[in-house]
Amino acid sequence: MIAVLVAIPLLFAFLTALTIPLRMEKYARYLFLVGALLPWLAYLLMGEGSEVVGGWPRVGGIEVALDIYSSLLVLGELILFSAVALYSVTYFKKEVKALILLLLVHAGLLGTFISRDLFNFYIFMEIASVSSFALVGFSGEKRAIRAAYKYLMLSLLASYFFVFSIGIIYLKTGYLNLELISQVSPSTEIRAAVALALASLLLKAGIFPLHLWLPDAHANAPSPVSALFSGAVVKAPAYGMLLLSLYLPLPESLRNALLVLAFSSMFFGVGAMLVEGDVKRFLAYSTVSQMGYVLLGIATLNPLGAIYYAFAHMLFKGGLFLSAGAMVDKAKARELDKLSYRGDILLMVSTIMLSLAIGGIWPFVGSPAKAALLKGLPYGRELFYLAGMGTLASFTKLNYYLMKGRGEESGTLALPSVMMALAALLAGFSLGGSPKAMDVYLLLGGAVLFLLLKASGLLEIRLEKREITPGDVNLGAALFALFLLLLLHLSQG
Amino acid sequence: MINAETAGIIVMLIGLYGLISKENPIKQVLSINVVSLGLILFFIGAGYVEGGDFPIMPSNPVDPLPATLMLTTLVVDVAITALALAMILRNGGEWA
Repeated sequence: MIAVLVAIPLLFAFLTALTIPLRMEKYARYLFLVGALLPWLAYLLMGEGSEVVGGWPRVGGIEVALDIYSSLLVLGELILFSAVALYSVTYFKKEVKALILLLLVHAGLLGTFISRDLFNFYIFMEIASVSSFALVGFSGEKRAIRAAYKYLMLSLLASYFFVFSIGIIYLKTGYLNLELISQVSPSTEIRAAVALALASLLLKAGIFPLHLWLPDAHANAPSPVSALFSGAVVKAPAYGMLLLSLYLPLPESLRNALLVLAFSSMFFGVGAMLVEGDVKRFLAYSTVSQMGYVLLGIATLNPLGAIYYAFAHMLFKGGLFLSAGAMVDKAKARELDKLSYRGDILLMVSTIMLSLAIGGIWPFVGSPAKAALLKGLPYGRELFYLAGMGTLASFTKLNYYLMKGRGEESGTLALPSVMMALAALLAGFSLGGSPKAMDVYLLLGGAVLFLLLKASGLLEIRLEKREITPGDVNLGAALFALFLLLLLHLSQG
Repeated sequence: MINAETAGIIVMLIGLYGLISKENPIKQVLSINVVSLGLILFFIGAGYVEGGDFPIMPSNPVDPLPATLMLTTLVVDVAITALALAMILRNGGEWA
């Protein structure tokens, strides 16, 4: 019955599409909302467990599961998509096509998060990403279309190499089911396949230095879509890496490489955020940094930590993008110094709550998630705290700019971000965080770091806006090829 | 003689080279199609059994699963190529 979770949004995507030829576009939004919210019912009625769709034996069927790993991600996706849906029905008033694509992303993500079969995982991840390509370019602006093109080419290249690695695994083991694959003793070829799959998923998850497509794609997408992308779509490849780490052996050298990548991603993201003046690019770079934390959980073989952090990131980054969207759509500008939340008290409170959550401050959801990650970290705690302080400093910067100036009332557009802020608070309590003295030090450290950077004039540096050219695809593909070789080499070492 | 799997991998790498070296978007789309063709060749080769029978009521069948997987990948491929070409068109004459 678990598969029903995916079938509902897929069916309603079809029904929503049917309203166009039947000339009943005015009902499309209701169908969209039903398709977005009905999976909640299916989720709440279903118990944990796993099943093979159609009752076939494991060898021939496709297994789906709703266990501790999957159900938390599914829950996060459902919360985020409900808020995004609420925002979308006011944002996409006339564009039924966008609503259909959003439902397809919804179906793709839910399908990804419950799959326990390599090829099935790929198919659902691809449903989500193909709809995402179209959604990035949806506004029709030249910059958005170029960002979508770049995202499409790089993501597709990674997908093909991922399928290639699935092919190697199938050739060597004869299975696609992960449980069955894990029972076969690993060989050189399987280790190589794992390295290939990891390189592809790293690109799709936007880990530095394969993140080239991410800031452009996430910043140029329509506001609710950005929230869904940064919140949930990049979690699909991260979940794939998690599945690989759960069921297949990761050699020590490969894990060390992932650890280095995780930390460099965390710090690169923070550095880019400090000099970024465009609020949506700022949040997109923050995603690069936060995906580093998720990768950290995977590299230290701490699946629960990675899942907790992925879930937490869904809530606060989705919420932050929604509140940024509410400001951007009112002011029709994306520069930090032209935006403010002063006009809307609800928006202000929820943005501050979400900023604290992303910094890992008790009692928000970031706190237990960071604690879970720290449990599995053998060394490098100082670096971990330093990255946390950097995150807090950059979000102090965000709030500093948003405090200044005068904004307008956002009205109902503020509601989705309030929802996400409350979800982040409730989830923080239910995951059982505890207040720590470290939080206070980090908060103070972040504020001091921000003031120091501001006094030194480093925050005044503005990166020049570059045009997106086809040359970017060359660069991305070259970096990807380099990473393929590097990880392949490490996997055999 | 090289087998189909090796040939597939070589074709994939040629496509990857195209994607690294060509700046023209149309050529980039063609390169990614070359990658996908190499992938399909690899999978079809993986399912092939020397002297195997077709997989309907067989005695010594070839493996039909890789071929069916590739049908799915082909569908993705067609959709994406159309989408990428549409995006290039939307950019006006500047890119092509």
